[in-house]
Amino acid sequence: MKILLSMEGVAKSFGGNHVLQGVDAAVREGEIVGLLGPNGSGKSTLLNLATGFARLDRGAIRMDGARIDALPTHRIIERGIARTFQLPSMPTRMSVLEVAMSASLSHHGFWATLLRPPAARAAEADARRRAGALLDELLLARVRDLPASALSGGQKKLLGIACALMRRPRLLMLDEPTAGVHPGLRGEIAAVLRRLRDEGMTLVVVEHDMAFVREVCTRCVVLDRGRVAADCRPDELAGHPRVLEAYLGQSAAAPHREAA
Amino acid sequence: MSEFLIHLATLAGIYALMSLGLSVQAGMSGLLNFGHIAFAGIGAYAAAIAAQAGWPAAAGIAAGMAGAALLGLAMARLGRQLGADYWGIATLALAEIVRLAATNEGWLTGGAQGISPVDSALAGLPGVWDSAGFLLCSAAGVAAGLCLARRIGGGRLGRALRLMREEPQLAACLGYDLTALKTRAMVLGACMTACGGALLAYYTRFVGPDYLTAAETFLIWTMVVLGGLGSHAGAVLGALLVQAIHAAVPFLRDALGAGSDVAGALRLGLVGLLLLACLLWRPQGLLPEKPGRVR
Repeated sequence: MKILLSMEGVAKSFGGNHVLQGVDAAVREGEIVGLLGPNGSGKSTLLNLATGFARLDRGAIRMDGARIDALPTHRIIERGIARTFQLPSMPTRMSVLEVAMSASLSHHGFWATLLRPPAARAAEADARRRAGALLDELLLARVRDLPASALSGGQKKLLGIACALMRRPRLLMLDEPTAGVHPGLRGEIAAVLRRLRDEGMTLVVVEHDMAFVREVCTRCVVLDRGRVAADCRPDELAGHPRVLEAYLGQSAAAPHREAA
Repeated sequence: MSEFLIHLATLAGIYALMSLGLSVQAGMSGLLNFGHIAFAGIGAYAAAIAAQAGWPAAAGIAAGMAGAALLGLAMARLGRQLGADYWGIATLALAEIVRLAATNEGWLTGGAQGISPVDSALAGLPGVWDSAGFLLCSAAGVAAGLCLARRIGGGRLGRALRLMREEPQLAACLGYDLTALKTRAMVLGACMTACGGALLAYYTRFVGPDYLTAAETFLIWTMVVLGGLGSHAGAVLGALLVQAIHAAVPFLRDALGAGSDVAGALRLGLVGLLLLACLLWRPQGLLPEKPGRVR
């Protein structure tokens, strides 16, 4: 399959903290890639670099073969990338429905807003319909008129996903979509992600929940101390020595490997 | 008495246009503009210079709006490099530059004496129609400004601006170009404010650098905060309240039997007290912004 997003020797440090030290990875069309690793291994930083929220020190990031690592965020998003945040923060003076609708960008210029030509009214109606449907699907229909900041942490995550989906991205990157979400909802999210892939979307999922990763992902990239420790199928994770080392430390890895 | 009320309402309307401009920038879009009075100043000077050149009032107002829009563009351009708080200080500095230029470029602005008289837009109308006509202009300006601000606020641009105000990271992540959004809010607010400034110059028949001090900016901020940051109707109400206090001061001074030197202090003190009371007991303002309407 065609490579959608590629990272070549990506390095980034904050102060003296070398978070990423030369990461090479690629995401192909139609994959659901799980991005794993212990806390501080650089997963979120990688997402931030790919979406222009941070600038890399060395290396290159390409989308469809063209470099995007120097572009501002909105130019990267234009190319068909969307993402969610690990700890999303939502507006206090906008309703859930409004936030979801704000992810529809067309006709938001001054004259279009002032004069509201038929095309702008159609875009507004379309945004309203799609936002309503997505909120239904992500179980937020009941709270759509509440201030978005009044949602629980898990609901904010779902709203973040709804916003990202409103963009109809080709590549969707989710930062810990199930952390803090009710266990009953994990199955729902997993089903939504698989359906999105069937519809042709490519996904990158940062996740700690191994059961969820095995259920959803088609491939896993494990980061450890700023480097790629493993790049394998989800069912190979449990026996992968470097993965065990990354998560459990070197001494713990040896006996655990025998048990596995 | 009716003359006095007409005067009060006219001034309140002119200041309401300026506070509506700040409401678009600070209230709706979260831009901490501390140089707001510069927009009004450019509008006022453009009207005065245009009047001296014999231009009709509409052309003077249009020239003021164009000049203020340029300054708005420059301020928004600065926002590309600066964080919100540093940007606020930069706007304060820009407004001071405008004031100093107005004081020192005497060939254009009349220097410290300013320009007087500014030929009234409605000169030639007999007696009371002069002032009533101005009240009408001022009221029409506020009505148009309020409609415009609410139309933008309730539409797709307003939604984007409010998202930028509250969650800039999310807005960027959804693909909004924050610099472009800031530019639109700054230019729109600048035009409305310049229109108010031009009307003020025509109405008082005078313009001078004393109009352009930072204290004037904070007076307009007080109007917006009193009414409710983010609420356009609140900005109009705030302007009305502050002007009513200013108008009441001479009566209060006479009642207290105080000298004329007390009036200025009384005015500042009363506005300050009202602002403090509002911040303590009704921080969301008198007409708070209503969240979450989808029309």
